[in-house]
Formats: sequence, structure tokens, C-alpha cells
Amino acid sequence: METFVRVVNHVNRVVGVFAALLVVAAVAITCQMIFMRYLLNESTVWQTEAVIYMMLGATMLGMGYVQQLKGHVNVDLVPLLLKPAARKVLLLIAALASVVVVGIMTFYGFEMMHIAWSRNWTSDTVNAVPLWIPYSVMPIGFGLFLLQLVADAIDTLQTPAQDIELSGSGH
Amino acid sequence: MDPLVLGLIVAIVTILILFSGVAVANGLLIVSAIFLLAFDGLRSLELMPEILFGKLDNFALLSIPMFILMGASIASTRAGADLYEALDRWLTRIPGGLVISNLGACALFAAMSGSSPATCAAIGKMGIPEMRKRNYPDTVATGSIAAGGTLGILIPPSVTMIVYGIATETSIGRLFLSGVIPGLLLVGLFMAWSVYSTWRQGGHDALAAQSYTWKQKFEVLPRVLPFLLVIVGVLYALYGGVATPSETAAVGALLCLGLAIVIYRMTDFKALWVMLRDATKESVMILLIIGAAGVFSYMLSSLFITQAIAEWIGTLDVNRWVLMIYVNLFLIVAGFFLPPVAVILMAAPILLPIILAAGFDPYWFAVILTINMEIGLISPPVGLNLYVINGIAPEIPLKTILMGSAPYVACMVLAIIILSVFPGMVTWLPDMLMGTAVS
Repeated sequence: METFVRVVNHVNRVVGVFAALLVVAAVAITCQMIFMRYLLNESTVWQTEAVIYMMLGATMLGMGYVQQLKGHVNVDLVPLLLKPAARKVLLLIAALASVVVVGIMTFYGFEMMHIAWSRNWTSDTVNAVPLWIPYSVMPIGFGLFLLQLVADAIDTLQTPAQDIELSGSGH
Repeated sequence: MDPLVLGLIVAIVTILILFSGVAVANGLLIVSAIFLLAFDGLRSLELMPEILFGKLDNFALLSIPMFILMGASIASTRAGADLYEALDRWLTRIPGGLVISNLGACALFAAMSGSSPATCAAIGKMGIPEMRKRNYPDTVATGSIAAGGTLGILIPPSVTMIVYGIATETSIGRLFLSGVIPGLLLVGLFMAWSVYSTWRQGGHDALAAQSYTWKQKFEVLPRVLPFLLVIVGVLYALYGGVATPSETAAVGALLCLGLAIVIYRMTDFKALWVMLRDATKESVMILLIIGAAGVFSYMLSSLFITQAIAEWIGTLDVNRWVLMIYVNLFLIVAGFFLPPVAVILMAAPILLPIILAAGFDPYWFAVILTINMEIGLISPPVGLNLYVINGIAPEIPLKTILMGSAPYVACMVLAIIILSVFPGMVTWLPDMLMGTAVS
């Protein structure tokens, strides 16, 4: 159990760093695009599509790491008002519901990628990017998010009820 | 089942699930999955990832991570403190110059960052201790910063305005311009209240003029001017037709990152990473909510709930201002509990047709909605800015911060009333710079 939690935390941290670097790269490419278009008057072909996919990739791949940092906002008013034992039960139920829905997203995200791959779908731009590549961030990202949710739930389960810390702000 | 009854059930289930403490994005996905499964069958679940992906596959959304990065890079420097120091040194003859400077710095900082808590933390960290040192009452010192921080989502660039623009398909550039004069109106009201309240609580020595030498006045300028240039540059790129909001945001992010590294010598790798990590965290959180809210609104329209509500409101024969009061009450209550982005994404697509049918301007409504969200940011139970202030000034009891913020909520309500009486204050600037709106 501890090994699982540690491995998941580590993998998501590494992927999280990658997601942050994708955001920085998207900034750089967008600036390069503006430079090419307005100062050199050259046409830009691949940049717009590339930065959109990079932003999508950063968001999907970053979900697990953000979960680890307790960065997904929630309304913790009711959990705060409850007694520790009841709070722990509620948090575990909420975690279970999240695991189920994120599992659905992972499964059908994989289907979506698989269909795009088997039917050779491409984006309708000049670049004709094979769509399974950008789609792949869905199963990978939601899969990592799923693993982190499970790891966090194990953590909650093993922590004594009165020591459970809430993620804090409601915004 | 009647779509209206179904809509009511969806609303109740959504509230119950969100209040369980589940992440807002997950909560929206859970509710969507439950109702899609129950009414459209198992096959409809496979649409969920496609809709989420499609919702985020949008160049306009790129401006969100970019503006967040821009705000985060400035917030990680002492630019906020430098801003109010510069203002304070130059506004010596004005009574209450320090609190006025702090509020002015909040407004200027808001013009570089689209986030309220970032604005609050950046100015408050130095501003609150300084105000207390100069004998301002604690209520004014904390309340003014909590309220000034909320300007982050009204004064452009604003992340919530971008989200509104995307949710309602309105022009982001025009939305930004619409927020300028209402933002200045709020700053003015906040300043007036701060000075009055300080005077009434006997803080005469706090209001007394300070004097600075010319040397002191000029030595702060080199640290502040680059940021003012960035603001001017970003505004020029946005309205001079050079680039779209997303592209402008990228340039702004690059410039601010560069300034933070060059002027504030932020070369420490760890500090850079913390800044980058926090910016990524916020972007991922907001973009995931946008995607999940896309799935949620697909579910609502797939079950004909959106259409039924719009139709039902159409048959209600109420005065448009009575309607607007109800809408405001709904928004304030929603804002008490939910983050602005979630409220806008869930409410805007349903409310906008109603608002338009009642003859209101969508840009004017964006401003009213944003001010409502600002109220939520400084009101219990989950007013984020209150907790930010509590975090940077832990020695001041939360109760004092709450008492201090309450009058500023009244200022915001007053601003909503003023803007309702004079809607031209919202529409005049965009109309003048961009021509009259087509819609």
C-alpha cells in the first residue's frame, strides 16, 4: 500500500513538472508566432494547433498532480461542520464517487483514442494531425488522476479521523 | 418527466453533491454522469470525454493559463509593495494617502493579474503591516485590502471575464473594456469609505500627511515603471489590433516573467518553480472546471432543461428590474459558496437568454455578475480573500476582518445600483473604442 502511494505520488510529480513546462513552452511558441506574423510578415501554420494541444495536454496531464497538491477547489463547508469520524466517512464517499466518474472518463477516453487510431482520424487543419495523439492525453491524464484519487483515498483511510486536514479554501 | 421538475431535481442533486466536499469539477462530472445514465442510457456516457475535450479545444482558452502565469510571476516579486510605496510617496498631500495608495496599487496590480487572491496577497503582505504601523484601524487595514483585491476579477485582464466571454460567446476584448470604468468606480467608493471610516474611528494621525524628499520619490520609480509599461503594452496589443487576447496574454506572460527575473533578480530556481507550479495548479483547476461544466451544460440541454427554463422564464410576466433583483440575489447566494468560475459557467448559459430577452446588455450584465462574484469573495462562509488576509495577518482576528469587509460589500451593492441607474458607465468606453456592439 505504502509503495503504491509513494510510486503514484512520484509519477504524478514528474508528470506535473512536464505539464508546467508545457505551459511555458506554449507561451514561448505563441510569442514566436506573433513575432513571425507581425514582424516578419510570414505565415504561421502549425503554431495555433500546437499550442491548443499543449494547453489541453498540460490540463489533462496536470490533473493528477493538482489532486496531489489538493488544488482542485471544493466546497468544504459541510465537512468542516461535521465531527471528525463523520467527516472521514463523507470524504471517503466523495472520493469513491470521484474514482467512479474519473474511471468512466478514463475508460471512454481510451475508447475515443482507440477509435481515432483505428480509423486514422486526422484534424481538419492543413497539418492533418493524427487525432489519436492529442486524444491520448485523455486516458493518460484521467488515468493518472484516477491513481492519485485512489492513493489519496488510501491516505485518508489510514489517517486517524481527527488528523485529517481539509484542503482549505472554497475557491 | 416534465423538464422543469427534472431541472429542479438536478439542481438539488448538484447542491448535495457539491456540498459533500468533492472537487467542483468532479462533482459536475458525477451529476452529469448520473443523469445522462438515467435518462439517455449507457451509450451517452461515452460522449463525456469527447465533450470535455471539445470544450477545451479552443484557442481563446489559452489566454487563461497565460494571464495566470503573468499574474503569478508578478505576484512572486515585491512589485506589489513597490507599487503602493511609489503611490504613497507621490500622493503625500492627500489625507489618508497610504490607504488610498494601497487601493490604487490593488487596482494597478489587478490590471496585471486576473486573479483576486493574487492581488490581495501581493498588496496586503506589505500594505497591511504598514497601515497598522501608521495607526490605521485594523478594520480599515484589512477590509480595504480584501475589497481592493476583488478588483482582480473586474479590472482587465480578468480570468472570470474570459470565462464569461467563452461561456456566452461574447467578445473578450469588449468585456475587458466594460470592466474599466466600473472598476474605477469601485476603487473610488472603496477609497471614500476607507478615509471616512478611518476619520470616524479617530485615526487622525493616520490621515495626516507624510512628507518624502524628492530623492525618495524618484528612487522607487525604476522598480515600478517597467510594470506600468507592461500594462500599457498589453493594452496596446489588445486594442491596437496587434494580437488576440490569447496572444496578448502570452506576450504579457513572457514580459512579466522576464521582468521578475531581471528587475527582481528572481533567479532562484526553487522560487521560479514554486511560481510556475502554483500558476499551473490554478490553470489546471480552472480549465478542468470549464471542461466539466461543458459536460454539465450538455447534460442540461440534452435533457431539455435549459430550454424549459428559458421558456418558463419567458412566460413569467415580471418587471425587468424585479427579474434583475432575483438574478442578483441568486448570484450572490451562489457566490457565497462556489468559486466565480463555476458560478459563471453554470449560470451564464441559462441566465443570458433571459437577460437578453428582458432587454439588458450582455456586457453590462457581465459587469454586474462580476461584482456579485466579488461580494462572494469577501463574504463568509468561503470568501477566499478573507482567508488570504487571515493568512498574511494572522494576528488580526477573523471577526475583525469580517467586520472590516462588511462596509465594502455595501460599497459593491451601491456600485451595482449606480451601474443599474447609469448603464452607460459600462458601455461608454467599449462603444467609444470599438464601436457600438452588434448584438
